[in-house]
Amino acid sequence: MSTAPRTASTELRPTDPDALARLKRFGGAKLLNEMVALYLESAPGRLAAAEAGLASGDLMATENSLHSLKASSAQLGAMHLAALCEHGETIAHAGTPTGIAALLAASREELGRVEQWLEGARAGRLP
Amino acid sequence: MTTLAVVEDNADNRLLLRALLGERYEIVEFDNGIDALAGLRGSHPDLVLLDISLPGMDGNEILRRIRADDALSSLPVIALTAHAMAGDRERYLRAGFNDYITKPIIDEAVLIEAIERWLGGL
Repeated sequence: MSTAPRTASTELRPTDPDALARLKRFGGAKLLNEMVALYLESAPGRLAAAEAGLASGDLMATENSLHSLKASSAQLGAMHLAALCEHGETIAHAGTPTGIAALLAASREELGRVEQWLEGARAGRLP
Repeated sequence: MTTLAVVEDNADNRLLLRALLGERYEIVEFDNGIDALAGLRGSHPDLVLLDISLPGMDGNEILRRIRADDALSSLPVIALTAHAMAGDRERYLRAGFNDYITKPIIDEAVLIEAIERWLGGL
């Protein structure tokens, strides 16, 4: 179970199918599939870069990587992951590493769930 | 055709902007500030969409250099940012951005209206 706090809105809807429907409206199934593919390709690396930043004491790298992951996650509807990233980004920005490791662990766990959800979308089950 | 420069390091965001804007405008893309500043002079865009959080040179510094360059200083520049804090809009406008759009992009009409406003179309 995640130790990170959840906001009321993300508690209700950790992933938002409306975001995927929106992308489909913006550019059809082609855009949706390309956005999902790019996310699945890039998100693990962004999280790894955030973890590497924490390990090396480069909190700016952690902040920047979490910022990128937050933006992409929110666009794809991974709202709980976006909230975790935002929380970590805020802490990293303040320059105090306390709590970031737990947030990154929770983010990695959540990313696994998001990947499964998006794989389902890619397989045509959503939206 | 009206040309927009998109300065954004995330490939997914560039893809989204191409999908939303590519039929209306010519799009030139840059994924970092150094290339953008070099390329803006040659591509003669009518407007710049500029991400704030870029690795290396961030959007605020790119804007400062655009405004300090006689050939580019009058370009309309719209900030694109996933930082959505109270007071951000005023802060970016004070810094010299013409407008401010938050990510994620929920309503494409808001983006297009901002672009058209600064292109003089609205």
